[in-house]
Amino acid sequence: MRRPSLVVGAIVTTLALLAPGVQAAKKLRVVVTIPDLKSLTEAVGGDLVEVDALTRGTQNFHEAEVRPSMMLKLRRADALVENGAELDLWADVAVLGANNPNIVRGAAGRIEISRGIPLLEVPSTRVDRSMGDVHPLGNPHFSLDPGLAPIITQNIVDGLSRLSPDDRPTFERNRRAFLERLGEEMGRWTKLMEPVRGAKVVAYHPDVIYFLTRFGLVQVGTLEDRPGIPPSPQHLVQIIRQMKAEGIKVILVEPWNDFKLAQRVAEEAGAKAYVFASAVGGVKGTDNYIATIEFNVTLLAQALK
Amino acid sequence: MRALAFVVALACFVGFLAPPAIAQDAEALKKEIEQLRKQLESVTERLRRLEAQPAPVTPPPAPSPAGPPAMAPPPPGMSLAELARPRQPFSLYAQRGAGQLLFDIGVTGDFVGNLTQSNVEKAQGGTFAGQENRFFPREVELSLFGQVDPYAYAEVRIETGEEARGQELGVKLAEASVTLLTLPLGTQAKFGQMRNRFGYSNMIHEHDLPWIDRPNVLRNFLGGEGLQEKGVEVTIVPDLPFYLEGLAGVFNGDNETAFGRGTLRIPLFTGRLRTFLELGDENAVQLGMSVASGESTEKQRDTLLGWEGRYKYRPEGWLHPLLTVTGEAIYSLRRVLVEVDTDADGLTDLIKKRERDRLGWYTGAEVQPFRRWAAGVRYDWSEFPSNPGKERSVEPYLTFWPSEFLRFRLAYKNTDRTHRETPGANDGSARRVDEVLFQGTFILGAHPAHPF
Repeated sequence: MRRPSLVVGAIVTTLALLAPGVQAAKKLRVVVTIPDLKSLTEAVGGDLVEVDALTRGTQNFHEAEVRPSMMLKLRRADALVENGAELDLWADVAVLGANNPNIVRGAAGRIEISRGIPLLEVPSTRVDRSMGDVHPLGNPHFSLDPGLAPIITQNIVDGLSRLSPDDRPTFERNRRAFLERLGEEMGRWTKLMEPVRGAKVVAYHPDVIYFLTRFGLVQVGTLEDRPGIPPSPQHLVQIIRQMKAEGIKVILVEPWNDFKLAQRVAEEAGAKAYVFASAVGGVKGTDNYIATIEFNVTLLAQALK
Repeated sequence: MRALAFVVALACFVGFLAPPAIAQDAEALKKEIEQLRKQLESVTERLRRLEAQPAPVTPPPAPSPAGPPAMAPPPPGMSLAELARPRQPFSLYAQRGAGQLLFDIGVTGDFVGNLTQSNVEKAQGGTFAGQENRFFPREVELSLFGQVDPYAYAEVRIETGEEARGQELGVKLAEASVTLLTLPLGTQAKFGQMRNRFGYSNMIHEHDLPWIDRPNVLRNFLGGEGLQEKGVEVTIVPDLPFYLEGLAGVFNGDNETAFGRGTLRIPLFTGRLRTFLELGDENAVQLGMSVASGESTEKQRDTLLGWEGRYKYRPEGWLHPLLTVTGEAIYSLRRVLVEVDTDADGLTDLIKKRERDRLGWYTGAEVQPFRRWAAGVRYDWSEFPSNPGKERSVEPYLTFWPSEFLRFRLAYKNTDRTHRETPGANDGSARRVDEVLFQGTFILGAHPAHPF
């Protein structure tokens, strides 16, 4: 009598222990290259996905170090969502070491969100490295432009639906709900930025152009005279002169960039340097997509007042 | 009068022509109205469908500032809402224009120079034997890499370099391999000619090494160019809670320093286990063990065991590691044939088999306080795999990167030996060697990111 009850107990316990695993197994395991895409994929995928990012918002995505821990994340992934436009080419090396056929180039689980994005700063002339770390396809830092969220999320919906076609209606519904909320916030952000429309700013690295353009601000220059190349003293002198002449009061610096240098330039030019969230999680309180844009909008609206 | 007649004639002519012209216009107008009606219906239908969807985010129109380029307008006839709808892949991508290659091309140039004592030059006992007190192209490499198809990735590297003083440069195939990416159970297979994944630094090409020269232990046990073989490697990354990569390979065994049989009948077998630990966000360690076993040209078994470790400390928010510590050790278990003169008559009486167990290792640390500058030191200690004797060297160095694609290195290397593994032509000793090494490296075009 005792033995059968023990067996039944063991089976029940085993099933109970396995149950969460079975539940978890239903979810799509998605890995994204940059944290902006984690937030957007979570918004679209909802409870149907488990999302992990390969990088953090405080990192420079151009120079991410390929660690085996990335390969471990990718080893189990059903999908890899990547920015594309040559921002996260390092993901190829991580994928190569992950031995996971689901996410190799050309596989259904490889989702590139730059498809259909009207990229800015697409070179119209011959490009080479004398121009710095240029991107022949255009500026790849578009993910924090809320106006492009419909295209990005549509790419994510399409990608996830390839893997789980039955869940497309849910993904579409989640996307619509997210865009509705984003639309409401957008109205508020637009009002907030209205008084500073047309204001000029200087950025350290050209990764804020989409955001500025969206809200009617003008990036008149960058501290880097060429992308990815440390600024030369001559260039800084020129920028300081320009900032003084045009009365520019704001320098935007990525969390990973040289804030002290930006501060020195700002002091010389009679301006102020601010760290903006160049990605989700880049600064405190920017844990998701909307919070990140909220942070940047508030920062600029106050700084340019 | 003549003018009046002309006007009347013209009026009559126009009068004759007018009815058909009016009739044609009416027909054209009819067609146009019909076309417009159809377009209106299509637009109304599209509007109805759009209204049925939730309101998309409607950001304000982008301004057209003087400085930065304005937002590229959507293609004619396409609204942002249309762009957001599901579509055929590549339909928009194609609008960026053609000219994108299906694979990447890169050229790397690696030039080194060295200054040393004249006796070292005579004995050819420097780090770059036979190239002492010279500046020369060590490795100029053309790399082609990319997807073959959805199932495979290929890499081809063709290189040239000056291997000896005054020698003409020859072009050779450094690497040509295909990796099958879609095998089951977390496996991949790579076949072709490749740098073997034996330890940490063997698989790294000269220009990518974290030092100017390959560590002594690798040069002594595997030859100047390291272990490069033709064959097949299979890797497996099992689905475990921690990272573990297992590797097994079968190769010809062409490397004459360690093996040299060069046949698959008696192949060279390789194996490696590699794991990785992250100690918080800032600290990471990679550990590995390797083995390579084959037969030498003397038809004797040679087995190499390798251990590797690499630690990196990257403070929060830094673009580069502040501290990197690397170490590798190789233990060689080699059987050699020794000629024995039992009666001391100067003639070989018999050939005996002897075991030669030899060890070599190196360790190095690098500090990179600034993005463009790094300084480090490497210490090498190595026995010679067949002959008696050992050597040790210490090499401090300084690295400067003007950009991601250009690098300069300056090093000083001090070497002490008890013997030379292979004495130079004039039998010079070169037991104490002081060298100043210089390296300039550039990358043109594409270059894949480097793993940890």
